[in-house]
Amino acid sequence: MTRTAMTRQTRGDPAKIWTLEVSGIAKNYGATCALRNASLRLRPGKVHALLGENGAGKSTLVKIVVGAIQPDRGRIALNGVPTRFAGVGRAIAAGVIPIYQHLSLFPHLSVLENLSAFAIAGATGLRARPALVPRATARAWLDAVGLGCDLDLPVERLSVGERQLVEIARGLGQRCTLLVLDEPTAALTHDETDRLFGVVRRLCAEGTAILFISHKFDEIEALADDVTVLRDGVAVIDAEPLASLSRAELVRAMLGDTVETGDRALPQPGAPVLTATGLRLGPTDAPADITVRAGEIVGLAGLVGSGALELAAALAGARPVAAGTLAVRGEALPPGDRVRAVAAGVGYVPADRHAEGLFGPLAALQNASSSTVALFSRGGLLRPGGEAAALMPWLRRLDLHPFQPERPAAGFSGGNQQKLLLSRNLAVPDLQVLVVLEPTRGVDIAARETIHDALVEAAGRGVAVVVASSDLDEVMALSHRILVVRHGSLDGELPRGTGRAALMDRLAGRRAA
Amino acid sequence: MMALTGARPRRFSGRFNPPAAVWVVLLLFCVFALAVPRFASVGNLENLLRVGSILGIAACGQTIVLILGGIEFSFGASAALASVVTVLALPSAGVTGGFAAGAASVLLVGLVNGTLVARFSLPPFLVTLGMLMVAGGGAAVLAGGLPIDAPPSDAFSWPARGRIAGIPVPILAAAASFALLHLLLAHTRAGRLWYLVGANGTAARLSGITVWRSVLAGYLLAGAFCALAAVILTSRVASGQPGLAPNLPFETIAACAVGGIPLAGGQGRAVQTLCGVLVIAMLNNAVVLLNLPVAYQQLMIAAVILGAVMLQQAPRLLLLLPVRPARQPEEDRS
Amino acid sequence: MSARLLRRSADGLRAAGSTLPIPFRVAPLCLILAVAVFAATTPRFLSLGNAANIGAQVWVLALLAIGQMFVLATRGFDISVGAVAALSSVCAAMACNGWGLPGLAAGALAGLICGLVNGALVGTLGLQPVVATLGSLIAVRGLSLLITGDGQVVPLDAAGAVTRLGFEPMPVLPAASWAALVLAVGAALLVGRSLAGRRILMAGSNPEAVALVGVDTRRVQLWAYGLCGLFAGLAGVLMTVRAGSGLPTEGAGMELQAIAAAVIGGTALSGGIASVAAVVIGAAFIQVLLTGLNLQGVSPFVAQIAVGVVIIASGLLETLLRSLPSFHSQSRTRT
Repeated sequence: MTRTAMTRQTRGDPAKIWTLEVSGIAKNYGATCALRNASLRLRPGKVHALLGENGAGKSTLVKIVVGAIQPDRGRIALNGVPTRFAGVGRAIAAGVIPIYQHLSLFPHLSVLENLSAFAIAGATGLRARPALVPRATARAWLDAVGLGCDLDLPVERLSVGERQLVEIARGLGQRCTLLVLDEPTAALTHDETDRLFGVVRRLCAEGTAILFISHKFDEIEALADDVTVLRDGVAVIDAEPLASLSRAELVRAMLGDTVETGDRALPQPGAPVLTATGLRLGPTDAPADITVRAGEIVGLAGLVGSGALELAAALAGARPVAAGTLAVRGEALPPGDRVRAVAAGVGYVPADRHAEGLFGPLAALQNASSSTVALFSRGGLLRPGGEAAALMPWLRRLDLHPFQPERPAAGFSGGNQQKLLLSRNLAVPDLQVLVVLEPTRGVDIAARETIHDALVEAAGRGVAVVVASSDLDEVMALSHRILVVRHGSLDGELPRGTGRAALMDRLAGRRAA
Repeated sequence: MMALTGARPRRFSGRFNPPAAVWVVLLLFCVFALAVPRFASVGNLENLLRVGSILGIAACGQTIVLILGGIEFSFGASAALASVVTVLALPSAGVTGGFAAGAASVLLVGLVNGTLVARFSLPPFLVTLGMLMVAGGGAAVLAGGLPIDAPPSDAFSWPARGRIAGIPVPILAAAASFALLHLLLAHTRAGRLWYLVGANGTAARLSGITVWRSVLAGYLLAGAFCALAAVILTSRVASGQPGLAPNLPFETIAACAVGGIPLAGGQGRAVQTLCGVLVIAMLNNAVVLLNLPVAYQQLMIAAVILGAVMLQQAPRLLLLLPVRPARQPEEDRS
Repeated sequence: MSARLLRRSADGLRAAGSTLPIPFRVAPLCLILAVAVFAATTPRFLSLGNAANIGAQVWVLALLAIGQMFVLATRGFDISVGAVAALSSVCAAMACNGWGLPGLAAGALAGLICGLVNGALVGTLGLQPVVATLGSLIAVRGLSLLITGDGQVVPLDAAGAVTRLGFEPMPVLPAASWAALVLAVGAALLVGRSLAGRRILMAGSNPEAVALVGVDTRRVQLWAYGLCGLFAGLAGVLMTVRAGSGLPTEGAGMELQAIAAAVIGGTALSGGIASVAAVVIGAAFIQVLLTGLNLQGVSPFVAQIAVGVVIIASGLLETLLRSLPSFHSQSRTRT
């Protein structure tokens, strides 16, 4: 691999010249203020972590850095030279290389073409061939992330994890001054993450500055040198060395003065409600038997790709299975049939709320009522006011904010969108089972508390609740017992009160002594 | 379990909330009333509405399909098929039977469209385009490629030329269609399901909605609206024409777009379609009154359609203001 | 259920398949089938003269379909191509009368301009493709009428010399067919080998991501619609060459056949893939159908029905085949 450390042009003390210096950035979307006074200062050859709750303005700041959007106010300087990127293409040309958390690959094109996407975008001339990365180089890029796939394979044939690696390989392969890693590890295994970190450290050694966005403190502590924390669009910690800060200080900076709630009292479980027997996700997975009792919250925990989310979805009838039966209070339920499941009182909150949960252009109220339309219609006609009467109490109880039930759902924050999905299910009369995937992914701390309260409350009214989450703290806080999922099937059960470390061990397949 | 205390049931729908297209309609009406002689006369307005009623009725069907996130290209061809079937059936089945046979043929096309889209998840664009060819070709084969005249009779021309209480039947039919469309969309469960399915089909399925049934019903009802339009059209041209109304699907789409209905699905109201239809009907009427050469008529229609759609989609652009990117909900993904 | 049955038969097809991307196999299959059927049932069908006839006739449709392919590949849609071809035909004829044979290029230029206007409406102004190209369809028809004085055919002064280009075999094919063939090869190079082609495929493959890697989406759409207009214009020129006059009202309905040919030619409606060869074969299939039925004395409208059925059938086949790999490999990895 040939790569020149472009940042070596800085003469004298490298700490005095920032690779990237962003200051006083403000950005408004209509009436909403995403960034008030954000700043970011990156040293060459250092990993800089950007932290903040969802809604703090992280992605807006990242988009401004990579040129995807323009700030309303503020100054950006690259290697001391004031710059403003008119588009992503300009930023890439200047050596600011993004690796996106949402896959920006082209499924119909080959791996090689995807690896060459930046070059194809930036090249001039007529022919595509000169813009393609040489095969040997492409192979080296893939080797660096440990992916050994065919260069001519269309990307749509790869798994999600492999695609993420292609995306990372593409970014790492560029000649860059600044590499922006936006939650790159979401779909990666531990080994892949380690390998990625190895490459990142090597880039650092060559003088590249890294902007690293992650929610995982362990990763940040393992990798980052400096840290900036955003809260409400303001940099509350501005480019300070990570070593000088404790984890508690970081959390406090991110959350502000939020009171940490203690353990919730969970209701006493009653009679079995949901029984799954011999459930197999795929033909090769071991069969799983799961029973959830009334008032019980069962956590499904597993690493990414373990099948925990899929197993939970199958319990809700949201996903076809290879084999097995479902029953609610003894009544058999055909797996994979959401229509029958809803009729039997099985609620479901999907993991990907945009793709599978939200009706973006429709009003919040209509989103909340989508599972219960039949309830407030008579003879095919909607009863006037029936919808509001049925759903408004739930929206109020879940503290929808802003309380504008007529506003399109797409206009709400992630947490409030999640409340809409939850209220949709809570409003189902005679709700027996509630399966919630990733209840609070991308949700701010206040909404998280509300959602957790609502889940416990639902259990309190006799609902059998299943929570599958990649957020282990969440699973531990909510569940009566935790079912460990590995390789698409159950791998034991842990009682409430199991420590985080023990849970991690079990998820990774290590039996506690 | 549901705590209803503290809930203040309020009616959310029903509040009059005019779409932007209303202003386009009013503006255009004022301009034409001032600039086009005889435009604002009662006789002309009646004529305008009567001519526009066919477009209006068919556009009601298109609205449903667009809300479902689909698109319907086969309207014109199925109307042509209906006219041919009607005229061919006349001798044996009589006037009512003939119209019924014609309407049934449109419904059949709608059923095929709906089945292929709903049960086989084919792209609506592809399905309705294919059915356009099948229905259009079928009409031409049945008619032997040439228009066939219907024997003149009062009963046959009643749908197009009759009056009830002094009001032309097509106008009444269009009014009834829009009333029905509004009722369906705003006040029925079926209508609500169309919005949900159109906005996010996966989410609708996971919410326990039988998506295919909703889609099929939507395409069938769209076919029913088109059938009504075809009956009136056949009655008006008094013949079976394999080349009847080739632009009907495009005009209905244009009407919906001018009314501000996005083609992405999940959105759209009856009043928006009505506004779009009125814009196009007024425009068609005015260019005829102005007695412009056909070329200028077409240029003017194109300009107004594109202008109205731009006004809906990018008002700031027309006013030469800097375009602001659409507001995105902040950081709600992970 | 019928869907399962179809899926199983699709499985069989895949197993028997070659390395060619699945959707591109539909068009050759259709063509071979149609040729075989007609060869068996119609005596004169396999004659050299008939083959030459089809080979010469197919190119108007093929050029239109190639243009449409560029737009479909970006997940767009252009219903104005028929009208643009008619306008270009008129412009070519008028310019040819004024400046001689080189004037024919004016038709291509007119098409390119129309296409760029469409591209600006869709790309820069962000209008829905159906609505934008519907607007330009009406406007372009109006323009054709305007410059011809209400739809009069524009006779060529040098009609003999021009039509000779269209009919007299040079070595094997007439000059016009050679030119169209060269254009098709050019289009294939554009799709397969050029930067613009690669960007068009990228824009169609993942519209959200293409801007994120630094491609100017608006410019890509401008390119795609511009190319579509250019090829429609070239089709118009070809129409003029073959008819010996400018045809202001010809081409209505051609847009549907063009889309049909592109779809049968495997241009994915979800964008991102395109093959000029398959599209040309798709156009040839439609032409074979028309000619063959004509020879049999069957109404050409039956061909229209057949094309409609093939469009839907190809869609059915494509969705089923495309659902298979994802059905197998993505069973678990949803995060």
